[in-house]
Amino acid sequence: MLKCYLLNGEFKEIEMEGFDRIAESIAENRAILENMPLTAIVELLHQLGKSIIRDKELAGLDGASYISIWLRRDNLERICRLNFGDNTFADQFADGGIGFSMMAQPRGIVCHWVASNVPTLSFFSLVMGILTKNGNILKVSEENRNTLTALLRGLSNVKVEIGSKEYLGRDIVRAISVVSFDSRESAIGEAFSMVADCKVIWGGADSVKAITALPQKETCEIIPFGPKYSFGVFDRGSVENNEFRSNLRKVLRDVLLFNQMACSSPQVLFFEKSSKSLKDIAQIMKEEFEALPSKLLERPIPQHVASRIITTRGMYLLSDNKEVVQPQGLDWTILISRDPGLEDPVHGGCIFVKEVDSINDVVPFVTRKIQAIVLCTTTEQSRIEFARLATRRGADRIVLPGTAHDFTLPWDGIMAINRLVRWVILYSEKNDGGSNAAG
Amino acid sequence: MITNRPISDLKLEDLLQLPQYSLDDDEKNEVLLKLIMEQLPKAMANPHIKNLFVKQGIDIEKIERLEDVPFIPVQMFKHFDLSTNPDEKIARVIKSSGTTSGTQSIIPISKETAANQMKGLKSILENYLGQRRRVMITIDHKGINDPKKEITARGAGVRGFSIFAKEIIYVLKEYSNGELVLDMPVIERLQKEYSDKDAYAFGFTYIIWKTFCKQMHDRGLKLKFNDTIVFHGGGWKKLTAEKVSKEEFSRTVAEVLDTQPGKVHDFYGMAEQTGIIFVDCERGNKHVPNFSQVIVRDMRTLEPCKVGEKGLIEVMGALSNSYYSYAILTEDIGHLEGMDGCPCGRRGRYFRFDSRVERAELRGCGDTFRE
Repeated sequence: MLKCYLLNGEFKEIEMEGFDRIAESIAENRAILENMPLTAIVELLHQLGKSIIRDKELAGLDGASYISIWLRRDNLERICRLNFGDNTFADQFADGGIGFSMMAQPRGIVCHWVASNVPTLSFFSLVMGILTKNGNILKVSEENRNTLTALLRGLSNVKVEIGSKEYLGRDIVRAISVVSFDSRESAIGEAFSMVADCKVIWGGADSVKAITALPQKETCEIIPFGPKYSFGVFDRGSVENNEFRSNLRKVLRDVLLFNQMACSSPQVLFFEKSSKSLKDIAQIMKEEFEALPSKLLERPIPQHVASRIITTRGMYLLSDNKEVVQPQGLDWTILISRDPGLEDPVHGGCIFVKEVDSINDVVPFVTRKIQAIVLCTTTEQSRIEFARLATRRGADRIVLPGTAHDFTLPWDGIMAINRLVRWVILYSEKNDGGSNAAG
Repeated sequence: MITNRPISDLKLEDLLQLPQYSLDDDEKNEVLLKLIMEQLPKAMANPHIKNLFVKQGIDIEKIERLEDVPFIPVQMFKHFDLSTNPDEKIARVIKSSGTTSGTQSIIPISKETAANQMKGLKSILENYLGQRRRVMITIDHKGINDPKKEITARGAGVRGFSIFAKEIIYVLKEYSNGELVLDMPVIERLQKEYSDKDAYAFGFTYIIWKTFCKQMHDRGLKLKFNDTIVFHGGGWKKLTAEKVSKEEFSRTVAEVLDTQPGKVHDFYGMAEQTGIIFVDCERGNKHVPNFSQVIVRDMRTLEPCKVGEKGLIEVMGALSNSYYSYAILTEDIGHLEGMDGCPCGRRGRYFRFDSRVERAELRGCGDTFRE
């Protein structure tokens, strides 16, 4: 049994046995989306972004202001351009430059398996599916579905006029369905996989392996956003300069957002040896944690995370050669260790801090599992040098403090929009090697 | 004042000799704080405990409430030697079952601690059994209490509960593959020869349910004694997964052992606090004995909860002088039902166990280990 919360543009909860009705509805409705120019889709999403901050319900959602900014026209166009090269390809056959024209055709129905650790994740995943004019079915957790359906209700109410033609957000929403079902129900999982022309998987190792292994169409594309680990690095100059405190504050926001459970959440901060000891740094961190908004500090913490925090604090309190800086409650925890290397994540605002002789000593810790490295350096040259080494070993993103969670493409090393389309070519009889567009 | 001496003069020996559940909550807080404060300087001999105090800037002299005694998370027994005595004073070491993590807790016991634990348990059980000895029906196999083997929490439980035993009878046997089955000759002997005797049964909850009750039911068997009181503890997690309620459990056990469900007592306890168990009264409330205290801490703020609020159960005890048992924060969730006012007449705090801390984890994109 699966629960469907959105079908054919209607937001109501329906229990279903399988995906036939959903797939049929989306296949039919996505024809309008396919014929919609990319500029109209971008404009509708841009208008949604603007309406989010005006709408009381939407503005109250976690991450609402970030979504609003992310949906700005110039950002969406930039994302598309980065993936398509030329956004014209999304609408028509256009000059490929080597004797034929090309077009980015949607794959069909994109099925998204979305992990529940980041409530807004489903929306970002969906927007990539919309920008590529695919039909979309999203499997979301029951606890996060309200965030997504609230945003889609908002999109339903948006309309724009381009030239003399009116475009409706509702037409996009009609090509989307939101479902939830128990992952242990293998028959439903298999049916979901079978309707997919593309599977977008956000989750831990077990989920990615299991969903990848489900039966699927031979032509199905799989885009896995699997488990990743993130950390931060400060070079000596950045520890000693005047921006240190402000950069730390931004990193600490990165730490606390999403309860530190996102793949982009820093778990360890490495500081190059400087005039400030780790204890000095921990003291500044303490002050900055305490100054953060109460909404960030007083977030709910799941039981198993709370239990891990308590145990880890105990380990650090009882051990020799380890220190802990903590408030009475579980708002945040600073764990000072002299053990080299990364640490298993505790989550829930527990940040390990370590000292290294040189930031390059951190590079050997980088593997293909590393997603974001929040890097603070004083010179662009050392930044580029570190980035070159770290990304060669496997890191996906070298970011600035406060931007660890910014959803930019590539993500996890993947240009997802590019993979959500089929690149098709058209040889034209008129041109035998020329560069004119055929469309 | 429940004796002719002021509360502040009471020693641990007095608390063990007094009828249990006779102190009001305030009285207990006063005497227990004094007893624990006497022990804390000695506990500092353990370098890990010293770390715990020093790193948190805790001055023992300034501790004014039981709530301020620093707790250690129960998992620490799996990672640290928390002995507060020199090695030569340690008479034995108890190891916990380690069913969840696979790592066992190590609990060092001195002779004095063992004696206190025995006295503590005896005085608790006396409140439920009276002073007469009875036949002890142990719902386990004999090997669990083999003195030649390492002491496990199950074995320690059997030993502890045997204080009131005229005779100990094990009703299960263990096959070489570890499977537990009814020891039929023993069951038959009990049916023939013991129906006029008073008995008390003891076992671990999941063994009683999964093995004893199931096999007795499958064979259509019952045991009858003149008067039977049942104590069971541990392993609720497995039964919760099977959706077995406490009421159903008590009803079924009472049927098999021909007694009333009100005489089937669930108890809460842990190997790390041997000697202290919290037994259900007939109202289903778990009572805190005179030499112990229970604080329920909010899972977010770690501040003490009010009556009715759920949180982590912290168990305080004054029985040990061989390891840090004064304040142990468990991974169990419960809530206080009240203080001094249980209709059963027992004084002090009474509480309920609600669940183990959830282990199910979100399997998100950040759910990975370092490599």
